[in-house]
Amino acid sequence: MVRLDSGMGGGGVTISSNLESFAGRRVVDFAPDNAAAVGDPAALAWRLRLESYGDDRRSFDELFDQFLETVAADRVEALVMGTWAAEMYDVSAEAVVRRLSADAARLPRLRSLFLGDITFEEFEISWIRQTDVTPLLLAFPRLERLRVRGADGLALRPVRHEQLLELAFETGGLPAEVARAVGGCDLPRLEHLELWLGTPDYGGDSGVGDLTEILAGARFPRLRYLGLCNAEIADQVAAALATAPVVAQLEVLDLSMGVLTDQGATALLTGQPLSQLRRLDLHHHYLSDELAGRLRQQLTAAGVEVDLSEQEDAGEDDEDRYVAVGE
Amino acid sequence: MRTATSPLASDPGGGIRFTVVGNAGNRRVALFAAAVRAAGLPPPRVLPWLDVACGRIAVEAGALVRIDSPGEDEEVDRRFRGAAEPAEHGRIKSFAGWYRGFRAALARLDDELAGTPGVQVLNRPDDLAVMFDKPRCARQLAAAGVPVPPALGPVAGWEELQAALAAAGWNRTFVKPAHGSSASGVVALAIAGGRVRATTPVELVRDGRDVRLYNSLRVRTYDDERDVAVIVNALCADGVHVERWFPKAGLDGRVIDLRVVVIAGRPTHAVVRASRSPLTNLHLGNRRGDATRLRAAMGERTWATAMTTCVRAAACFPRTLQVAVDLLLAPGWRRHAVAEVNAFGDLLPGVLASGRDTYAEQVHAVLCGRHLAWARNAGSLARPAEPQDAVRQGVVPCTT
Repeated sequence: MVRLDSGMGGGGVTISSNLESFAGRRVVDFAPDNAAAVGDPAALAWRLRLESYGDDRRSFDELFDQFLETVAADRVEALVMGTWAAEMYDVSAEAVVRRLSADAARLPRLRSLFLGDITFEEFEISWIRQTDVTPLLLAFPRLERLRVRGADGLALRPVRHEQLLELAFETGGLPAEVARAVGGCDLPRLEHLELWLGTPDYGGDSGVGDLTEILAGARFPRLRYLGLCNAEIADQVAAALATAPVVAQLEVLDLSMGVLTDQGATALLTGQPLSQLRRLDLHHHYLSDELAGRLRQQLTAAGVEVDLSEQEDAGEDDEDRYVAVGE
Repeated sequence: MRTATSPLASDPGGGIRFTVVGNAGNRRVALFAAAVRAAGLPPPRVLPWLDVACGRIAVEAGALVRIDSPGEDEEVDRRFRGAAEPAEHGRIKSFAGWYRGFRAALARLDDELAGTPGVQVLNRPDDLAVMFDKPRCARQLAAAGVPVPPALGPVAGWEELQAALAAAGWNRTFVKPAHGSSASGVVALAIAGGRVRATTPVELVRDGRDVRLYNSLRVRTYDDERDVAVIVNALCADGVHVERWFPKAGLDGRVIDLRVVVIAGRPTHAVVRASRSPLTNLHLGNRRGDATRLRAAMGERTWATAMTTCVRAAACFPRTLQVAVDLLLAPGWRRHAVAEVNAFGDLLPGVLASGRDTYAEQVHAVLCGRHLAWARNAGSLARPAEPQDAVRQGVVPCTT
């Protein structure tokens, strides 16, 4: 398969930058020599990463040991896990999840965790070797924010978690089992759910049927932000949303980065009202000027902010349509 | 070193006469001529590359000679390659053949200039030959202590490349034609667990058994090993430089690197190149990033260290007035490396420093004599690794 990446349209990979902020905090790379200079360790989001190039011979465990020895870990509230090995291709996130879970008692105030702040310059998102992340939810009952990037080997078991406010899986292809497991979770406080569905080429075999529980809304009574992003099946997702009960409770509906065409946009226009939304994010789409105009007109009149930026041109061939984040 | 480097035969600001070796009608030549005229000097004479390629070389005594790009002229290109016909538009042609012709032309030019009284050459033919030989250039930089990505030795094809990468323990590399430029034929290659991904502007066209490679303005990704093997084999036939993929930092949602023009030892013009693909060349739909913002993000000390590296890279070519260094910056800014030193990377229209574009800055450096000081002092910044005799190797006769 050949894909046209960047330049004059045609989609393309977009995870180009490491996080600069997370959970409302500036992200700072942990290094043994900079940790002492920091005043309040709760004021920062600490990123732990091994350089994916060069001569860093430490293991993740050694890096984590250094972190626990150097920083007042009992006050840390936000952690970002970057590249966890110098060569990422044969090392999964399992060691990271195991270590964090095992040391949960030493991180009593951890509220926000990002697992996999890795750009395409560091490693392909679809090649990041993930793992079962359920142990994190079990080990950190007071976690409020969990974002996970990458889906190769990703797993989740349905659990109940009382405190989680935000859950996101950023993937080039979300396994159907994970989508169903999310729908099977009881997350009474969840406000923000983001699933990057991706494409079957990269393991994204989630269909609309795997989103049934999520679209029903009952399990997440506080949900206000629903992102079903980066979806090759964006049109089917839009069609399902046209009648999905969950929509009535949302403030933000995010269908960005996918392959949304006039077909999906028509479903949105003719389905249930979207006027209660504060924002509809459709950036990176394949709508015609006409449909984009109608959407903008109808929703703007209703007071909804609509993001229709990054209009992609598929050319003459459907094969040229891509989700924003694949490889 | 055969080219004369005697002090200026003409008085600074007085009887200075520039000659530009270039392609008449090319934008580069026009922009340099404009800078010369703006300095109140007589317009430069142009010695066309076509004439150089055919041995018609005449330079007036006492001239200051600037050697500019031979590119964007299909007849010059044809003669360098010794081909019967001009190349098809966009077709990736023989880099090695082109380089042999280019070097031969440089050697003839060098001979002629050495025999012309009072001539001063602003960019030494030997240096240009090294800069168009990526493996050699990288070795020279490394020997001078300039950080460069580690590289493999020569590889003959896809299978040999895979074996060499496995032995080195690298799964991410850049494969570059040894004598290419402007990202032509460059492949960002990732291999892991039996999977392969090649990101490149190369367009592979199959026509029955016939396979042709084209330069494209759109970056493509190939993940079928058969396609990747065809592309890599074609590139290897002409010689490649394979270096470890240095992960580049991102800024504002784009991957970036820095193009820094060093003129007489000063890093005067810096342009951030921002991309959504691993290839940052601006003609691939990428755009200029915000250098002020990058500098602020890096911090003054880190920025200064990066600029020092660029100057030290330039110091490997002390008798060349201007080079353009492509600098890679790692996430977190903790390290950097030189990806390329470009001989003709100063075409940055509209980028001003102290009110001068790259061309005006070069004229200015010559008028105030800074280039002579640079040639004298740069040696202390770099220790040349290899005898500077690239031009002498592989000289081929003129094809006309």
